[in-house]
Amino acid sequence: MSGALARLRGIPSWQVTLGLALLTLGFLVAAQLRSEPQRVQYTTQERPPLVETANQLQQQQDDLGTQIVQLRSRIQSLEEGGQGNAQVVRALNDQLQAARIAAGLTALKGTGLVLQFQDSILPVPAGGNQADYLVDASDLRTTIDELWLAGAEAIAVNGERVVPTTAILDIGGSILVNSAYLAPPYQIAAIGPADLLDRLNARASWVDYLKNRVDPVQLRLGYYEGSDITVPAYAGAVNLRYGQPAPAPSASAGP
Amino acid sequence: MSRPRSQLALAAVALILGLLVVVQLRAQAGGSTLANLSSQDLTTLIANLNTRNDELRSEVAKLQAEEQQLTEQAATGQTSIGQLTTDLAQTRAWAGLSAVSGPGIRITVAGALPGTAVEDVLNELRNAGAEAIAVGGVRVVPGVVVAGQPGALSLVNTPLDDPFEIDAVGSSETLTGSLTRAGGIVQQLAATFPDAQLTVTPIDQLIVPPTDRQLVPAHGSPAL
Repeated sequence: MSGALARLRGIPSWQVTLGLALLTLGFLVAAQLRSEPQRVQYTTQERPPLVETANQLQQQQDDLGTQIVQLRSRIQSLEEGGQGNAQVVRALNDQLQAARIAAGLTALKGTGLVLQFQDSILPVPAGGNQADYLVDASDLRTTIDELWLAGAEAIAVNGERVVPTTAILDIGGSILVNSAYLAPPYQIAAIGPADLLDRLNARASWVDYLKNRVDPVQLRLGYYEGSDITVPAYAGAVNLRYGQPAPAPSASAGP
Repeated sequence: MSRPRSQLALAAVALILGLLVVVQLRAQAGGSTLANLSSQDLTTLIANLNTRNDELRSEVAKLQAEEQQLTEQAATGQTSIGQLTTDLAQTRAWAGLSAVSGPGIRITVAGALPGTAVEDVLNELRNAGAEAIAVGGVRVVPGVVVAGQPGALSLVNTPLDDPFEIDAVGSSETLTGSLTRAGGIVQQLAATFPDAQLTVTPIDQLIVPPTDRQLVPAHGSPAL
């Protein structure tokens, strides 16, 4: 026993440090390998420039979105400081603020729920379809519709606000929301009543969806409930190119 | 092993360790997985991003012009009521709080299909640039969902007739083309639900009504 202890004491400290570092390295390599998504890796020569172009365009999109949100906020301040008939200006500004909130142009904070969706980590059985084990656009659409029906008032997916013009599409194994490319995990933030999760879980169609789609392939679904849920403002174009505002049926129709 | 050699070995391990930690953290932060897309998908993605960025650039230009006008008006003490009124009308129409008129298409849906299939059609319409949509005369805004089993569809808890109509304002050509193309949503639904029938008709002038829903949330407030 004392011999073993003496041998241990005899090991230089750098060897111990190195040993610990190698142990950590091993863990990290294992974690890295495990976390590699099951999505297919392609290797052809024309791809690097395409990936680079897509990355640059996505970066431009993010910058333009930030610019739009900042411009809208400055315009709102200017409008609120507007001169002229003070009463008319104030009334118009109040209506405009309500319209902006209704349109999703304002970030919101409140009670609600965040659902996090991740691909399954189950091995795809022989003869199984690999795509079934990945979260796709229809999973996000179903979840968002179920959240609306459960009483959600505002929803965003990975920071993309769901507005009247939002389309959610599959591109290969990936998902576009508001034409922005989203990478997993997919976090769906919903503002609504404090018991939104209970209301969601009480919906028969949601329970069916979990039973028939999520559970069989074990898509990973996590929940967070809280009173500090935030959904960002929509950072895209608010533009009617073909349509135009038509007279309301009655003059008193307010927001 | 001499001391400098041991330090060298440690430094090398520390370097690799650091790299791996960064890679792992980046991967977990949901970094780009673009490398997993095929060339064809990347091309589609790039086309999509280009279109959206063009839209965003025009929006930035429009907002910059608006900001400049407001700044000039503020400097000269002019009224900004004209600008406010235009802004209000546009925002309300886009949000669904007021009616929208313009060209577009009417889709007549007959026969049994589930609510999710109708939602897929709405998603396709939005993707093709529809600016305002109504189902069975009810404006579609966030929170309005077509739900239910085939033959028992409802919209905001109100049953939908069979047949019912979907009206969408936008470019009639683009909307029609996008829905009726080979392999498009109309063909897909015809294959999956042979009993259902979707008829797409271009219309010169449509009016999509405003919503009667309360769109200002009761459980959230503006976050700064």
